[in-house]
Amino acid sequence: MRCRFTLLPIAALILPGGPAYGTVYLSIQQAQALLFPGATFQSETRTLSDDQVKAIEHASGVPVRNHQVKAWRVSTGGWFLVDEVVGKHEFIPFAVALDRDGAVKGIEILEYREAYGGQVREQPWLEQFYGKRPGAKLRLNKEVRNISGATLSCKHITDGISRLLATYEVVLAPNGH
Amino acid sequence: MKSCSLPTVTERAQPWLGTLVSIRVEGLPASDAHPAISAAFQEIEQIDRLMSFHRSESDVSRLNRDGSVRRIPVDARTLTVLQQAIALSQRTSGCFDVTIGAELVSWGWLPQPVGANALTGGTWRDVEIHRDHTVSLRRPVWIDFGGIAKGYAVDRAIECLRAQGIARAVVNAGGDIRVLGQECEPIAVGVEVFAESIPIIELADGSIASSGRSCQRDIPERVCGPHVDGLSRRPISRERFVCVLAESCMIADALTKVVMAMGSGSRPILGEFGAAAHLWDASTGWQSLNPAMECP
Repeated sequence: MRCRFTLLPIAALILPGGPAYGTVYLSIQQAQALLFPGATFQSETRTLSDDQVKAIEHASGVPVRNHQVKAWRVSTGGWFLVDEVVGKHEFIPFAVALDRDGAVKGIEILEYREAYGGQVREQPWLEQFYGKRPGAKLRLNKEVRNISGATLSCKHITDGISRLLATYEVVLAPNGH
Repeated sequence: MKSCSLPTVTERAQPWLGTLVSIRVEGLPASDAHPAISAAFQEIEQIDRLMSFHRSESDVSRLNRDGSVRRIPVDARTLTVLQQAIALSQRTSGCFDVTIGAELVSWGWLPQPVGANALTGGTWRDVEIHRDHTVSLRRPVWIDFGGIAKGYAVDRAIECLRAQGIARAVVNAGGDIRVLGQECEPIAVGVEVFAESIPIIELADGSIASSGRSCQRDIPERVCGPHVDGLSRRPISRERFVCVLAESCMIADALTKVVMAMGSGSRPILGEFGAAAHLWDASTGWQSLNPAMECP
């Protein structure tokens, strides 16, 4: 094991208007191919009625924010769904694979974007660490892609999955698998 | 001469262990990296199913429910974590203790197990591991692996990737991170805690775990963070932030609780586990305990 500790002054490093910390993990197509190898996908986007929204909220206990359901019927059986939840400050899009019985067979986070901390909330800051700003003392030849010691709960993702399972029961299952 | 082509990077994230787990593999085509990452995620899923306090059929929940009545057979991996936890409890005289479940439930950090009455008393000394790989409890206690299982899951994922011939990977379970390979990985630490200077740790071939708190005014002490001193059974009240570096992520994860509670007094324990720590304290600022080798 080797390591080095450096303190980076935030004030000296912030550039206005930089992007937030973020990672794109998978495109929708990549997630589809991973969760249902070899299958083809038929897009069946649905718009929820007010009654359906109520039924989903009642069944899942989670508020429905977006009335559009992004769903794909899978040629080999089952459904591929894409939704997003609000993280601390930003939306987190994720994909859920349901098998032909409506059980979860896989979850993939598609993108993760967050700004951290009170000071950095307004001015996303991690972009600074690439040495773009003159005078930055740290010599880093790699971007900072990992953060340790920030509270990162997946409660909102668990809630989002509950909402999608209820959506499946209310909207997709009655129309056949 | 270095190649000019960009290294191939494949990274995915899934929700496990109550947090987001990301796995990044470098140097392989995506078509080879994805099956390896999938296998590593399956291992993490197994750890979650075995060790979650929230799953009623996990080894931990079965033990908490019936361990004081009979011997409970558990998976070899659960046994490994339990043995390591007890070894740490012995070494720290109970400062690290996985039987703090009752306190975490009473403070609202964990849900009360269904059908169970509130518990008081009991320590790691009440956990008995038998030769036939079963576990029993001398009195009812609630074990919670929240302070060690994420690190173990990261170790298992890294082993899984290594066994598949992968030379360069990073696994991150909610800030418990292990880097496989000799190239240094920059990691930002404590971004929610520090307003003026953020520590960056560059790490190769090892693990980091961080823990800390900076209580905002008006927040009751007990809800500031799930840090419990296993000895006093009280929340750790000092304003501290620690990051622990060790080869094993399980050790780094568990030792953050020890350094949180003991501060610089944890130096000899860190040494025994081949670990180093960076400790921030409201009164003394940053100090390094057993600094490890530097990146070149």
